[in-house]
Amino acid sequence: MLVQQLINGLTLGAIYSLIALGYTLVYGILTMINFAHSEVLMLGAFMALGLAALLPAVFGTGLVGLAGMFILSMAGAGLINVIIERLAYRPLRHISRLAPLISAIGVSIILQNGVFIWVSTQSLPFPEPVVIGQIEVFGATISSLQVIILLASLILMGLLHFFVEHTKLGKAMRACSDDIQTAGLMGINSDYIIALTFFVGGALGGAAGVLYGMNYGSIKYNLGFLPGAKAFTAAVLGGIGNIRGAVLGGFILGFLEVLASGYIPNGAQWRDVIAFTVLIIVLLVRPSGLLGEKIAEKV
Amino acid sequence: MSFRLVAAAALMVFAAACGPKETVVKIAVAVPLTGDMGTEGQGLRRAVELAVEEANASKRFPFKIVAAPYDDRADPKEAVNVANLITSDPRVVAVVGHYNSGCATPAAKVYARAPVAMVSPAATNPEVTAQQNSKDWSGPRMVFRVVPTDDVQGSYAAMFAGKKLGKKRMALLHDKSPYGQGLAEEFKKGFVAQGGKIVSEDGISVGDKDFKALLTKIKNDSSKPEGIYFGGLYTEAGLLLKQMRELGLKDPFAFISGDGAMTFGLFDVAGDAADGAYLSIVGVPADELPSAKKFVEDYKAKFPNDERKPFDHFGYEAANIILAAMERAGGPDRTKVIEELKKTKHDGVLGTTVFDDKGDTTSKIVTMTRAVAKKRAFDSVR
Repeated sequence: MLVQQLINGLTLGAIYSLIALGYTLVYGILTMINFAHSEVLMLGAFMALGLAALLPAVFGTGLVGLAGMFILSMAGAGLINVIIERLAYRPLRHISRLAPLISAIGVSIILQNGVFIWVSTQSLPFPEPVVIGQIEVFGATISSLQVIILLASLILMGLLHFFVEHTKLGKAMRACSDDIQTAGLMGINSDYIIALTFFVGGALGGAAGVLYGMNYGSIKYNLGFLPGAKAFTAAVLGGIGNIRGAVLGGFILGFLEVLASGYIPNGAQWRDVIAFTVLIIVLLVRPSGLLGEKIAEKV
Repeated sequence: MSFRLVAAAALMVFAAACGPKETVVKIAVAVPLTGDMGTEGQGLRRAVELAVEEANASKRFPFKIVAAPYDDRADPKEAVNVANLITSDPRVVAVVGHYNSGCATPAAKVYARAPVAMVSPAATNPEVTAQQNSKDWSGPRMVFRVVPTDDVQGSYAAMFAGKKLGKKRMALLHDKSPYGQGLAEEFKKGFVAQGGKIVSEDGISVGDKDFKALLTKIKNDSSKPEGIYFGGLYTEAGLLLKQMRELGLKDPFAFISGDGAMTFGLFDVAGDAADGAYLSIVGVPADELPSAKKFVEDYKAKFPNDERKPFDHFGYEAANIILAAMERAGGPDRTKVIEELKKTKHDGVLGTTVFDDKGDTTSKIVTMTRAVAKKRAFDSVR
């Protein structure tokens, strides 16, 4: 039973981590919480559904179709995030810290209601491009879906790590995250890097949306809210602004939820309470999160 | 100054536009029209429209009747808002609604103050009508319903699980709503009374997506449950079924649930995993009712592109019962309609409907069905 629960926790945690990365990347550079991120996630899932509905022969079957669905939805979600930044955040960036935050909440409401009004008010079935089978390992049942989710998340996290640590653009991103003004003085086009960060964060969110849709088999206009809130929590738990922290926080939250509902009597009712109690305790002990560094006050 | 003039002029134009051209009487349809339960509500709206259209065509009334839809979004707060809107519109003579017990119970309190009659086609929690007996009930008895209640449905499911399926140990789940929890408790009562054992009881939240951890716990429970009884709606039921199958919980491990889960949306959420789920429904499905044959045909003729939902014939019957009461009352008088509703003895698609002193139908029929994913259908199990 423990093995099974750990696998359940891993899949849940992988999805949370991917979403948390989107929050943390943006925060790392702009110290701003992109509340519209949960809607980018939702749009990613809807784009995948749209692709599968428009071209079922291409995207509806097989691993290649699945990969194509993934890449296009990621690109779409990334672009949407860039557009949101350009239209709703950039003009407000130098006005006050609160203005972009409110703007983000506004964007979130607009996108959610847009899908509600123009796409569907209820759950839509999400396609299953690959046949889902089960494997028995150590007395645990693993579905091929869980394997896909884990693999896809790990590959994306690996790519992100490589991008941030080993490419020039990644270096520029880190420089902007350290000090955006100095980075600009060194010849880095900070507007471009910010847009790039939104693209990467949005693409990861889009991927998470597709995985979410696959995992639960149906999607809805408000699907982003709950995982968005949880992933934001995970990002804070790990230390917001820190990439490894977001991943760690996502997995910890996933495990906490699973263990709470699996091992505590009537824990399913209490799992959110338990998860958030742990969060509060961690933040009391380490206010900047598990891997967060104390940031010196910027002058 | 000029603004005031413009405003006054606009008001006059508005008032003129709203003025009565012909007498219109409304039957409110207060159901979820959007959201996950929206498909069910839309079905009920269509059913009431059909009843109203037939009434207009029959020239039984010297005025025009319209079905006025109101969206309660399956949300109790919104249901109260909608109820206030309805009671403040003097043209509304009675209400068909609400779909969810959680909505019907608070909304009925608002209707009682008006008072305006509410005939529910789907809310099955006993409290919906039973609350009229409480001391703080302000108003006359005006809640009616054409569906049998959860105590009937829950105990029937318990009998079915024990006697027909031979289950001795069941795990209980519910969504903590008045409907879901009420149904689960009635099942428990019935199942324990016939010697069965409830090995675990868990509440989940509406909107939760991941039940794998909980299902893993049930699967590995040392007292070996032979099935799950779930009190709740189709979204969660569908996800439970899907994740059960992914964890290898398959036949003969049973999944039994109630009418809230019995709708075609279940197939959208669960896909093939819905196959073999047992779902009870109050009353008899319209396709199997000889008295509903004409309704089924007329519905298909009027709405050829829409799937008929499991509660539509109840909605149609509720509207017809209101229309008949209004006819006997001699016009759209809210209070007289309530009095006439109490005297209802209606021969319609559901057979003969008579209300008891609480306002519940005296018919106590429950049907157990089994989901067949390929056909997107629920076959009756006898």
